[in-house]
Amino acid sequence: MKDLADFAVKKAISLGASYADARADHSIGNGVSLKNDIPESSGFADSKGIGIRVLVNGASGFSSINKLDKKKIEEVVKKLIKSVKYSSKLIKKPIEFSTEVKEKYKYFIKPKIDSESISLAEKIKNLLEINSALKEVKGFKSSYISQNDSYIESYFVNSENIKISSKIPFIGIYYVLTLREKGKSSQIYKQLGETKGYDAFHKWDLTKLAIGETKEMLKNLKTGIKTPKKKMDVVVSPDIVGIMVHESVGHPYEADRILGREAAQAGESFVNTDMIGSRIGSKIVDVVDNPVIPGSAGFYKYDDEGVKARKKYLIKKGIINELLHNRETAAKLDVKSNGSARAVGFSFEPIVRMSNTYMLPKDHTKDELIEGVKQGIYFKSYMEWNIDDKRMNQKYTGNIAYLIKNGRLTKPVRNPVIEIKTTELYNAVDAVGKDLGFMAGTCGKGEPMQGIPVSMGGPHIRLKDIRVH
Amino acid sequence: MEIYKAQDYVLKRLKKLGVDDVVISATTDESNQIKYVNNEIATTKRWISDGISVFAAIGKKNSMTNIRAESKSQIDKTLNKLVKIVKNNPENKEYMGIAKGPFKYKKVNGLYDKKIKNLNSDGVDIIKDSLNKALDIGASRSSGVFDTEISSGRLLTSNGVDADIKDSFISFSIRSFIDGNASSHKISVATTLRRFDPIGAAKNAASTAVKACNPKNINAGKYDVLFDPLAFSNILERVAWASSISYVEAGFSFLANKLNKKVANTNFTMYDQGNLDYGLASSSFDGEGTPTQKTTIIDKGIFKTYLHNYSTANRYNTKSTGNAGLVSPNPTNIILKPGKASIDGLLKKIKKGLYITNVWYTRFQNYSTGEFSTIPRDAIFYIENGKIKHAVKGIRITESMLNILNNISGIGKESQTILGWEVETPCECPPVLVRKVNITKPKET
Repeated sequence: MKDLADFAVKKAISLGASYADARADHSIGNGVSLKNDIPESSGFADSKGIGIRVLVNGASGFSSINKLDKKKIEEVVKKLIKSVKYSSKLIKKPIEFSTEVKEKYKYFIKPKIDSESISLAEKIKNLLEINSALKEVKGFKSSYISQNDSYIESYFVNSENIKISSKIPFIGIYYVLTLREKGKSSQIYKQLGETKGYDAFHKWDLTKLAIGETKEMLKNLKTGIKTPKKKMDVVVSPDIVGIMVHESVGHPYEADRILGREAAQAGESFVNTDMIGSRIGSKIVDVVDNPVIPGSAGFYKYDDEGVKARKKYLIKKGIINELLHNRETAAKLDVKSNGSARAVGFSFEPIVRMSNTYMLPKDHTKDELIEGVKQGIYFKSYMEWNIDDKRMNQKYTGNIAYLIKNGRLTKPVRNPVIEIKTTELYNAVDAVGKDLGFMAGTCGKGEPMQGIPVSMGGPHIRLKDIRVH
Repeated sequence: MEIYKAQDYVLKRLKKLGVDDVVISATTDESNQIKYVNNEIATTKRWISDGISVFAAIGKKNSMTNIRAESKSQIDKTLNKLVKIVKNNPENKEYMGIAKGPFKYKKVNGLYDKKIKNLNSDGVDIIKDSLNKALDIGASRSSGVFDTEISSGRLLTSNGVDADIKDSFISFSIRSFIDGNASSHKISVATTLRRFDPIGAAKNAASTAVKACNPKNINAGKYDVLFDPLAFSNILERVAWASSISYVEAGFSFLANKLNKKVANTNFTMYDQGNLDYGLASSSFDGEGTPTQKTTIIDKGIFKTYLHNYSTANRYNTKSTGNAGLVSPNPTNIILKPGKASIDGLLKKIKKGLYITNVWYTRFQNYSTGEFSTIPRDAIFYIENGKIKHAVKGIRITESMLNILNNISGIGKESQTILGWEVETPCECPPVLVRKVNITKPKET
């Protein structure tokens, strides 16, 4: 595989490319899913392929093939160079890449328990155990549980002699539970993922997690009261802080989005380059994107352009501090790449992505946050959310939620809604907890769509005087 | 090994290994994409791939995998692993087997156009002409993608199915922007070059964007909403998926327990048609070889049938609707039966309302009740007494699917074919007028 990637890069340069890179992948993976107590599907996959990216006459091009055949790869490179040359007719300003450190690096993550060593039958059995426990809970109606794992060996090489080899495991699970009580229904969605082996599955203790959420949600269905519709103080959990910072900090700080490269579908941004250094939130708000957390869903040490990954402060003390860059956006804005280029596999071009995006914890306990609220709402989990394509107008609908009165949690409340502008949201943060929690997600962007594993999180935080309905 | 030969080998080998049901699907695919941003080409992409997927069942135990047809020994290794896994897996009590062929298939017209294969670099010129048209009309900048795809495939099963397909696809998506916060998104998508109209999409995107300049805020509340086909397809697609019996069983459908009940206004009739001529998801056979058909899912507001494959149909004592998906039945081409009104006629019916041309980020609070919200984007217009008053910004639709379907008060006569980033299942959709749609928004600060 490595020889073929090296060959593709050399061939592209010899045919007139000013830059070329190649990524060769060998991926093995497994998946099982359960619909109630029926093992609905199971399967395994083993795939290989190469993706090649070039710059020719200032224009960019990408091609991939899933046959590891030298002749075919040569053909692919030739055709790619020819079509990119033709495309360069419709280029006004040549595309350039930022200058980066030339690295050679290998990293292989060895899982404690290789997911491949666990049979699909055992993986199904483990999901069945979760469902059997849920069936014991009165009010539980149905479940859909899906678990997947992979182990991907990857080799990146470019014409600047950057060479990165990696082997990274991944395990993920999601479930959707449907509950019914007194003629009303609710659903719970949960997604977890880590760059680990099957040991992560055991650590998650999903039965306990699912049962706990189910019982709490059923209590909400039974005794939940209508949400008071007014301005209140609100405490939100790490899950909700996570989705907030992913949607309204991470995405709008993607430099390619700001420069318009995703305008057609994933959208643009309310942030522009002149806003770096300006205030967006209260002084206690720090938001980072950090790929180098071992075991995290968005983990990597080098990005898919061979640039060393690092922690990035997107918001520092409430000020817009840094954008997410790949080499193309970095060159355009005259900075260095901060290692944010990711592709979901060999058949996709690397684009600017988040990794693990979270608000940094500060100094309060969760109880202290709640104690400071006279009348308000605690949002513990959510289901529905969305945001406009400039990342300003967002909505989060609570699932498990409680009324706070005189500093204490009281009755459950049904589906409270935060519908708020980004500028108002981060300025409303008046206290930040000292805990830190993460959830996994699959972030969508690009054409064709690239669903990439990320995590998002933060501590519990308090929002002062925001409208809830 | 050549993939169709590999397919024959896989069937023979799995039968020898004692597998009862085998479905082997082989495809070869060549796709091209040109992505353009702010009137320039951002990148040119090309994908070459082939692949074989295999489903195997012994009794009620089953599993699936892909085959890399590198060599016989590689295939043998994969098949031995597959059979071991199938034997080791627990039984799926609901599995009732695969469709019993062989079948006779009727030809579906207009699925392949060799002119698309021979386009080569013409895409660059198509983009250039379309962008110039948008600029002429007044768009300051446009971004989008131009895609082509040629694929062929063959389905082989242990129940006598041996069927093949060859198809082509061409698509142009354009979002035109005008400084001053206005944009509009249009697409043209087809299986043949003759039905493809990128210039028309560009004209339409630019001229709608021009009208959408200087958007204003409106109050939250109930509004009559006229949805353009691109916007309503986001809803239509979700109605179709909710009619897959697997979605119902998993708790993902608001159409559970609705068979033969009223789920929409009487003016609403919706089909799934896998054998639609020129259909983007058309094929004369489904994923297990059953001939495809036209299925009426909702007839004059009454929910008539779930979508089934052979196995699910057997469990429900009915016939397959030709929508396999071996694991889960899936919709093919979704058709909303057009009404008689022109778009102007529908606008005239609105006293106080909105004309929404696109939505995105549709998310459910509860799939089983159909409560959701979605965000209108691009051109949105406020309508008073049948006339466009001004463009609108910053709103959200917070509704339930059944409310929307029951409040449809008018359907346009002209359908458009919609497929793209947000709508992943092809829809033939006319404009739709819905009464009393709930509009929410953040409070202005």
